[in-house]
Amino acid sequence: MGYDSITNVSIPTTASNAKEFGKKKRVNRTAKLKQSKLDVRREQWLSQVKNKGCKEEINGGGGVKMHSPDVHERNDDRPVMKLEINPGGEETEGITNHYSDSDSPSNSPISHTSSVFGSNRSHSPFTSSSSSSSGGCCSGSMIEEDDGDNGCLDDWETIADALAADDLKNDNLESPEPPQLNSVIPLEPEPVNATMLGQDGCCARAWRPDDVSRPQSLPNLLKQNSFPMNSDRFYGFGAIEFGFKKVCSPPSTCPICCEDLDLTDTSFLPCPCGYRLCLFCHKRILEDDGRCPGCRKEYDHRGQGNASLKLGRSCSMIPRH
Amino acid sequence: MQASRARLFKEYKEVQREKVADPDIQLVCDDSNIFKWTALIKGPSETPYEGGVFQLAFSVPEQYPLQPPQVRFLTKIFHPNVHFKTGEICLDILKNAWSPAWTLQSVCRAIIALMAHPEPDSPLNCDSGNLLRSGDVRGFQSMAKMYTRLAAMPKKG
Repeated sequence: MGYDSITNVSIPTTASNAKEFGKKKRVNRTAKLKQSKLDVRREQWLSQVKNKGCKEEINGGGGVKMHSPDVHERNDDRPVMKLEINPGGEETEGITNHYSDSDSPSNSPISHTSSVFGSNRSHSPFTSSSSSSSGGCCSGSMIEEDDGDNGCLDDWETIADALAADDLKNDNLESPEPPQLNSVIPLEPEPVNATMLGQDGCCARAWRPDDVSRPQSLPNLLKQNSFPMNSDRFYGFGAIEFGFKKVCSPPSTCPICCEDLDLTDTSFLPCPCGYRLCLFCHKRILEDDGRCPGCRKEYDHRGQGNASLKLGRSCSMIPRH
Repeated sequence: MQASRARLFKEYKEVQREKVADPDIQLVCDDSNIFKWTALIKGPSETPYEGGVFQLAFSVPEQYPLQPPQVRFLTKIFHPNVHFKTGEICLDILKNAWSPAWTLQSVCRAIIALMAHPEPDSPLNCDSGNLLRSGDVRGFQSMAKMYTRLAAMPKKG
């Protein structure tokens, strides 16, 4: 679900420099990725962010070398891609439909319709924003991240983990995502979405920039707000924010020992159920009975990163097949 | 040790705030020892315990919350999963199903739920369990009600 948006945003932004080439390349890239198998795809993505990032930045429109045999057949379930192809706005309905499709693996009718409704309302204004700004702003931000020596990679991994856990936990609570976009970014206040927030209980809890409980890994992303925002950005950003919110919204302190969570602890997601605790307590539990306090399942001893990544893989398969 | 203290202190503050939220549970910390708590819980409605107020004693281990607190009824209660003499409670979350995510407050809630839904197949009070298992619900209820009146209700006069 949200993971799609991330891939679509992160990979394209790495490469996009010129307007048209950038767009085309995004399409090509995502189409190609779609063809390969899922796990291959994920590793590819990770390594692309890491390795290819800088190189293709220089190439600029070099994305032509990516072959794109069946973009149009394939883009049914790639909503973000469509959004990037047609920023004109006449496809709003199609976009939002696909969007919610890939968004809710459970596809329960209620969550489906509501998310369609929500995204319809919240996204129609963005489609009018110019796509030309997208290339510039995105590549700029990626350059900045690349300078940070893989800092972005860590971030994305965290996000992927968070989203993976999130998938497992809340299958049918997907609808609040679209309103979340706007509540997170107060640059374009919208009365419509304000009412959406009111309807949806959990949306009201989005972080404000001054919020104490906001995870410390977020400022990295917020930095990019200094660049002009566009629809792509909104999309990806919202998905990230969304994933973060549900997994780690409550604790600024460890629920077990009540100590404050530091930076490492906040990005520590030991169990796919999303239950967070500090590293110290986690170690003590591992020595003791080794079960997650949240779901009482055994912790995976091979390391939390692998476990969540694997689970993320298996559940990102659901919406695609 | 230090962790359990911090945690209990946080629960103490939480309890002060939640006093209004859950009127069926009154959780009080011992004045001098934060590892000793007592709780007063109201018998759930539509059970033979309705109208009674039952006192629980919590003894919190130093490994808390990794280890569950020890809880027992101080008030006599006729219930298949509570030892009639010692007040010991047979409840999975107080033993192997314990999770550090639970709190004293949530343990109280679990005990109230246990009062409403006895498990006669793992009895600590065999008489009570046998009554239920043989299908004598009326017999069980009248016994439980009697003991609730005797032990858990304020004496008249």
